[in-house]
Amino acid sequence: MSDRARGWGLVAPALLWTTAFFVVPFAVMAAMSLARLDGRELIWGVHWDNYAQLAQPHIARAVVVSLEITLTVTVISVLLAYPLAAIIAFRVPERWQRLALLLALLPFWTSYVVRSYSWLLVLSRQGIVNQALLGLGIVQEPVTLANTRLATVTGFVHFFTMLLTLTIYASLRQLPPNYARAAADLGASRLRTFVHVILPLTLPGIVTGAFLTFVLCIGDYVTPQILGGNNELTLPQVIMVQLGRRADFPLASALALVLMGLVALAYLLSSRWLRIDRV
Amino acid sequence: MRALSWLYLALLYAFILLPVGALVLFSFQDGRLPVPPFQGFSLRWYADVLGDRRLMAALGHSVAVAAGSSLVACALGFLAAYGLARHALPGSALIRAVLIAPIAVSTLIVGLGLLLLVNRLGLPLSLWTAGIGHVVINLPLCFAILYAAMGDQQRSAERAARDLGASEAQVIGLVTLPMLAAPLAAAFFLSATLSWDEFIIAFLLTRFEVTLPVEIWSLLRSGLSPRLNAAGSLVFLVSVAVVVLLEILVLARRRR
Amino acid sequence: MTMLRASAAILALAAAPASAQTINALVWCDHTDPEFLAPFEEATGIRVNLREYEGTGAALALLEQSRPGDWDVLVIDGIDVPRVVEAGLMAPLPEGDLPVGDFFPEVVMEASTTRDGVTYAVTEKWGYNTLSFNAARVDPADMQAGLGALLDEEYRGRIAIYDYYLPVIGLAAVHLGLDTQTLTADDLPAIREVLFALREQSASVGEVVASQTALATGEVDVVVGGGEWLTAALSAEQPELTWTIPDEGAVLWTQSIGVLADSRNPEAALEFVRYVVSPEGQARLATSSCYWGMPANRMAGEHLTEEQRAALRWDEQDGYLARAQLYPAPDAALDAAMQDLWLEMLQR
Repeated sequence: MSDRARGWGLVAPALLWTTAFFVVPFAVMAAMSLARLDGRELIWGVHWDNYAQLAQPHIARAVVVSLEITLTVTVISVLLAYPLAAIIAFRVPERWQRLALLLALLPFWTSYVVRSYSWLLVLSRQGIVNQALLGLGIVQEPVTLANTRLATVTGFVHFFTMLLTLTIYASLRQLPPNYARAAADLGASRLRTFVHVILPLTLPGIVTGAFLTFVLCIGDYVTPQILGGNNELTLPQVIMVQLGRRADFPLASALALVLMGLVALAYLLSSRWLRIDRV
Repeated sequence: MRALSWLYLALLYAFILLPVGALVLFSFQDGRLPVPPFQGFSLRWYADVLGDRRLMAALGHSVAVAAGSSLVACALGFLAAYGLARHALPGSALIRAVLIAPIAVSTLIVGLGLLLLVNRLGLPLSLWTAGIGHVVINLPLCFAILYAAMGDQQRSAERAARDLGASEAQVIGLVTLPMLAAPLAAAFFLSATLSWDEFIIAFLLTRFEVTLPVEIWSLLRSGLSPRLNAAGSLVFLVSVAVVVLLEILVLARRRR
Repeated sequence: MTMLRASAAILALAAAPASAQTINALVWCDHTDPEFLAPFEEATGIRVNLREYEGTGAALALLEQSRPGDWDVLVIDGIDVPRVVEAGLMAPLPEGDLPVGDFFPEVVMEASTTRDGVTYAVTEKWGYNTLSFNAARVDPADMQAGLGALLDEEYRGRIAIYDYYLPVIGLAAVHLGLDTQTLTADDLPAIREVLFALREQSASVGEVVASQTALATGEVDVVVGGGEWLTAALSAEQPELTWTIPDEGAVLWTQSIGVLADSRNPEAALEFVRYVVSPEGQARLATSSCYWGMPANRMAGEHLTEEQRAALRWDEQDGYLARAQLYPAPDAALDAAMQDLWLEMLQR
């Protein structure tokens, strides 16, 4: 057997799996997005009706809401996670670092669905946050926190801060320690060392983490559904309504492709620094 | 500066641990509502959850799907990584891109696509279909981890084995696999974790037998109760126990 | 232990159940309560596989995509029974076999459950979509006055809306004095105004648990679209959470059960339906953990406790029924328009 044939033989199973269960379904979805639903009857062909629905204000709004939430979450999570990762990597003694990381990832081990639900309880009018605010005299009346965008963003930021802490920590640990020392020896201030040495070196790690955050956040249905109180709908929520209530597969497919388009856009914008194969 | 760091650390840990703390605390609520005030300590919701046939069945299904899909993903990922790392194939960059692609796509899209395909083929939904979906999202991860781990050390060991007359199967089984034990384990547990916690694919692709997140989701749709807290806390405790166990095993190994 | 369970689960997977004594039912969440289901499974040895679904459209799609014989029993919104009967999906139920004579006459729904004198489904549970509220925090007189009172500035941010378009659109129609059964696209602009005004006042729009949580935690004081199904289960713990039917009226929901025409196990399926409408089955279904509701069979009353009957307002049903209208049963086009209207309202 030639070397090449053997190579193909080894790659084939994975390639076939991905083709059969990812590429082909994707093609079916693309075809479905161009089909039309007449009553309950599916009419194949090339119809742009589903994409035209994007002009409807409530669907267009879902795209905007999804983008706004996702970008907010990504930025806040990076800003919160970077210092945390840095503190764990540089201030926490070496032998406690693993424990510190494990502790920071602890909530990761509850079920995803349950995590959002527990935020609902924490943020409710009788919840812990309100009790604390009242107790400290910061507010006189309980504030509405649950069922708002703030709640959705909080739930997301909570999850992605954990995730990003891990990825950023990994890239900080890979920094050769003498780089920073060299910069300091050359008289660079702490800030300059950070901006000119540490940040550029950890940028791929940050961007990769941020991209993953973007993908996972913009495609998530559970968190906004539980925490957002339906006060605004994200794109995945609109897709799930099409599936669960109307079984409108063509429209759901078209919207899923729009979602896919947003992810692709994010990919293009960040591809320069992206190291997906080294997550 | 130093004090500020510790303060920041404390604040973020409080933020991170707050919902889990609340979850576990109110799973012991002696009342029907998992909200303050705390009315007293009771284990009845745990008894309730442990006696729930559907929930326990879902737990078993989740373990099976997580273990099964991770095994398949690791096996396929390993073969592909080995093939690409050790054999010169035309278009290998494209193959890598295709294999990695599912990770950059929302699980909702993976699930919806598979649902449409399964429907078109007229196949029934089951844990198998959900498992197939989980392999799709876990394969890129396993492949990436293992491909990155195939370094030059293994290459020379493999070459030595081959020079001594080992067949390719022997090389893989006796040299490559043992040398890659650690990344293989990492890939397996990472993908098992993802599968264990995955909701939307399992929700779209299962029918009667569902995984734990899906069962918890239907609990959530069906009435407010500390049962949910108890179910969530149990999942939490079980997962943490597994993590701690692994950690101890890894540490013990390092010491040797 | 985990490994053991895993291998057991894998074995169970491999041996997909094909036993004659298994039926597959497409249901609403109240049927999944073990306290409801276990007595039937134990008494008959028939295993019931359940799949929950959300909207009738999704159920129809599921049935279309399944192979013939995949499903045996269907639980469906009472108003949608004609749709499935017309599609030829339902099997006739044997004449005189089920205790329909013991049912509350108002909810038998003969017009939709029978066709040409043949019965295809029977009502199993019913209740109202109306106003649930916290009696300690709102004036019950306002609730009696109906939706109009909720539009007052005083209620701003204290309302949650139940996230299902048909009943809430029905409530808006009732408020406008329209007949819910003859709604047309021309009525939608007026309904839209009521919905949007309510939306302005509301803090959230949520499904069952979200609405319950909102009410129970003081997030809101009123749930539009609520009813016994939302608050009855909470009443033991928080008696101030209650419900009423305003003077202007409210909407009546019913759910029906029937056997599917291509069921491979019609005998077992019918046995299940018999259990569901039996007094014992009815009492358990009425107080199922997912949501409560009135049993269709009056004889179930003997199997309910005093407190359960009180929470369901057993003795006030005559007056309530007189004020309630069935919730809308739109055709496909109007249904699509209503769903669009609903999404638009959510997205405001």
